[in-house]
Amino acid sequence: MNDSKIRLLYIDDEEHNLHSFKASFRKQYDIFTTVSVAEAQELLENHVFHVVLADQRMPVMTGVQFFEKIRDKHPEVIRILITGHTDISAAIDAINKGEVFRFIDKPWDYKYVENAITHAYEIYKTREDLKQRNLELEKANEELDKFVYSASHDLRAPLMSILGIVNLALIEEDLSSQNEYLELIRQSVKKLDTFVINIIDYYKNARGVPIIGKINFDELVTDVLATIQYLPERERVEFITNIEQDGPFYSDAMKLRIIFNNLINNAIKFQDQKKTNQTVKLEVKCEADGARIKIEDNGIGISDEDRVNIFKMFYRAGAIKSGSGIGLYIVQEAINKLEGRIETKSTVGEGSVFEVFIPCITNAKD
Amino acid sequence: MRISTNFILIDDSSFDLFIYEKLLIKCGIASTVRKYFSAKDAHRWLRENGPTLPETVILLDLQMPDMNGFEFIEAYHLLDDSIKSKVDIFMLSSTIDSRDIERVKSNPYILDLLSKPLDIEILHDKLVALKLKD
Repeated sequence: MNDSKIRLLYIDDEEHNLHSFKASFRKQYDIFTTVSVAEAQELLENHVFHVVLADQRMPVMTGVQFFEKIRDKHPEVIRILITGHTDISAAIDAINKGEVFRFIDKPWDYKYVENAITHAYEIYKTREDLKQRNLELEKANEELDKFVYSASHDLRAPLMSILGIVNLALIEEDLSSQNEYLELIRQSVKKLDTFVINIIDYYKNARGVPIIGKINFDELVTDVLATIQYLPERERVEFITNIEQDGPFYSDAMKLRIIFNNLINNAIKFQDQKKTNQTVKLEVKCEADGARIKIEDNGIGISDEDRVNIFKMFYRAGAIKSGSGIGLYIVQEAINKLEGRIETKSTVGEGSVFEVFIPCITNAKD
Repeated sequence: MRISTNFILIDDSSFDLFIYEKLLIKCGIASTVRKYFSAKDAHRWLRENGPTLPETVILLDLQMPDMNGFEFIEAYHLLDDSIKSKVDIFMLSSTIDSRDIERVKSNPYILDLLSKPLDIEILHDKLVALKLKD
């Protein structure tokens, strides 16, 4: 309750002013009062205030001097000066210099003060919102920048490879090798297509409206496995699934599909080709509070250095077999949106385990 | 004058390594081609085989995981001058990012940025110009 109240700090050397102010406004605002500059500074240090009021005539320093003192350290708090009639020129000067937002003439009038504080808080709120908005925009811009840079690479590189192959094929006299070139073109087109699909997934996930529905993990996993059965690496991998689901589970099927698809694809893609017993184990335990998903492989593993970075946008681990570096970033985004969490354990040469927890969305209806 | 020299290709794309090796040999511009998937491996090979290294042209990709083109140049900078004197580096990339292009231009070790797909005649002209300058 207190959190939604406007929080004020009032400093005045005359204690009866503080008392009468508190008596009038304590129901409406969360009020802190003090007669000392030092205590006022300490309070500002330890609490978030929206508005600070100061009397102009105080023995140690004037209200304007006090404001000057706190301005650099606490620029966000809105400053209101309380003055007697004789100090008006000082007050006008302070307003013009930008030290104070308003001044209140003594003896003050209830409505006038209330109005001043309401306006001050509006300004405070607007500035805070703006700051927050700016931070979000900065993050979005940074991502966009990174996106444009990497997309120009990931979209152009396969195209330029294709052009290179075509150029080569055109100067080739031996017609029998044309099929080899066509095969390379096919692979390059596939790579490009995978990237485009990932980007579409990402935007669906980031901007799209979540669609909450009943999830059947058996069906979901079967669907995802069907899409990867033609992967060239798939054949050599033994796939073990164990799905336990008793009750209904509600979540966003699109996001779950993104998570399963990327994690399973990685488990298959980063197999150790030297091993003869390539295995991927997929476990889903669906309980009332949420689903625990575990994807375990005995592939090449992830180094500690890579492990902290793999969820970053466009981070590519290792020189071999890497994709565009966007898959796990999308997984992380999807998990964040579902308010779940993911943990990674891995040993180089032995394999990796990804454990995901997705909470059940309880307020969903059919 | 027709040039024929030794090449090192550094690129994380196996397609591109395959294509450009074939292209360089087919056009008669390359007498030998070494291919590296990883810039780190290429750097290690240069360090270890520096003394016996013949005149060599490196075609270096920019965006690679682990060690990218610019990071390779930083590591290359620390190699012995006797190695560097035998090597000419061109960057070969599909980048159209102006920051990358600026960075390539301002780097003393990179002679030029060649865009993918590689145009052999352009590369050949640049190598001829280089020879004439020596």
